[in-house]
Amino acid sequence: MRATTISDLIRPSLTKGVRLQIDCATGKSVLLYPEGIVELNETAQEILSRCDGRTLGEIVCELAEEYEADSNALAADVRDTLSDLQRRKLIEFK
Amino acid sequence: MRAPRPYALLAEITYRCPLHCPYCSNPVAASTCETPRRRPQADGYSNGELTTEEWKRVICEAAALGVLQIGFSGGEPLARRDLAELIRAAREAKLYTNLITSGIGLDDDRVRALRDAGLDSIQLSFQSDESTLADEIAGARAHARKLDAAAKIRAVGIPLSLNFVIHRRNIDRLSQMIELAETLGAERVELANVQFYGWAFRNRAALLPTREQVDRARKVATAAKTRLAGKIDIFYVLPDYYETRPKPCLNGWGQRYLTVNPTGDVLPCPTASSAIPDLICENVRERELDWIWRESESFNRFRGTEWMPEPCRSCPQKEIDFGGCRCQAALLTGNAADTDPVCEFSPNRAVVDAALREINSSGNNARDWTYRVNPSGLTI
Repeated sequence: MRATTISDLIRPSLTKGVRLQIDCATGKSVLLYPEGIVELNETAQEILSRCDGRTLGEIVCELAEEYEADSNALAADVRDTLSDLQRRKLIEFK
Repeated sequence: MRAPRPYALLAEITYRCPLHCPYCSNPVAASTCETPRRRPQADGYSNGELTTEEWKRVICEAAALGVLQIGFSGGEPLARRDLAELIRAAREAKLYTNLITSGIGLDDDRVRALRDAGLDSIQLSFQSDESTLADEIAGARAHARKLDAAAKIRAVGIPLSLNFVIHRRNIDRLSQMIELAETLGAERVELANVQFYGWAFRNRAALLPTREQVDRARKVATAAKTRLAGKIDIFYVLPDYYETRPKPCLNGWGQRYLTVNPTGDVLPCPTASSAIPDLICENVRERELDWIWRESESFNRFRGTEWMPEPCRSCPQKEIDFGGCRCQAALLTGNAADTDPVCEFSPNRAVVDAALREINSSGNNARDWTYRVNPSGLTI
């Protein structure tokens, strides 16, 4: 799926078997899955900690408010990050 | 050199196994390294295996060292009655928990106990897609029980990977094996060409596929990856004898992984103790894991690039493939510090080519293999 075509109404969630966790050695968030570990950057961490049933639109609104950022630019970033993670089967869209 | 932090611990909790696969990577002479420490244990592991409490301590020490993932393996880990308790301890230490199993012994009660303990994922091994060949390879009537185990795993909702070890006798059925993974609803399938260590090294002449087979299999795997993209993750592990550059074994010695074997020996790789006989294995009963990882001679022996001989030392790939596999070098040349003979620049590449020539000129007549036997003194 192209990042620009992801609807505001989808609800991103972690794929079954994928866990989001703090890595005590670094203080950063990581995704853990069978035989794999992904270190998350701050953007991905902020997005994924909100992937709990909220829609993409809601996540963007919240982040825009929290970071006082332009929601159009932010929405593009969030879509890119989510589409990358979805391509790697770490999250799915419902 | 300074030790990095490890990411994953392979916990080989027992060498006992009801299967007899001729490619098992367990040491052929597992019993010899256990003999000195064999003593009766309070909780019944009279064969020198670490006790429940000892494993729990190892798990905590590993987490403190930075480990994020644990794989429970063996042998057959279900042969230990305390498996769920160990998984629970690993989850409490915030580790991602993976079970690598044949599925034999997985009844309804146990699969629920594993789920309730917080098991994150199961890798279920299959020998082939159909029972006649699969049971012949396993040396046991196992296939039907594995199908049953897969159904039980699906029913309780634990994510499922299927693991196939690929070799001359089953490589032509790759597409049927992938179909089986689809049928069983696996999220992930690993098709790993056999690597020649342990029993597989002993049985190499019967297991090494021909070049024709390898070329066909590569095409099947590539096509399946495309067809199933987004549905099933397919990992195809290449047969390294047919490559011209070595695999980046372990991502470098003592960089990311450590293995603790059933009797508590701590190893940079599960096959190191048997492939490299002069490696001094430290044991968790005598030393803390932190010291073993950072300070021991065994973990520092091939850490970094200082140990490398030519042609590795001046090779631009040295930080990419790390000189290949130390165990493979030891098995094929007798010197663990040699360049992996798979490398086209290795002065010992001829030993790999000789093995390939033998297989590719003898047609496809499979030879007999020797089935894996359990270490002496161990009962299932």
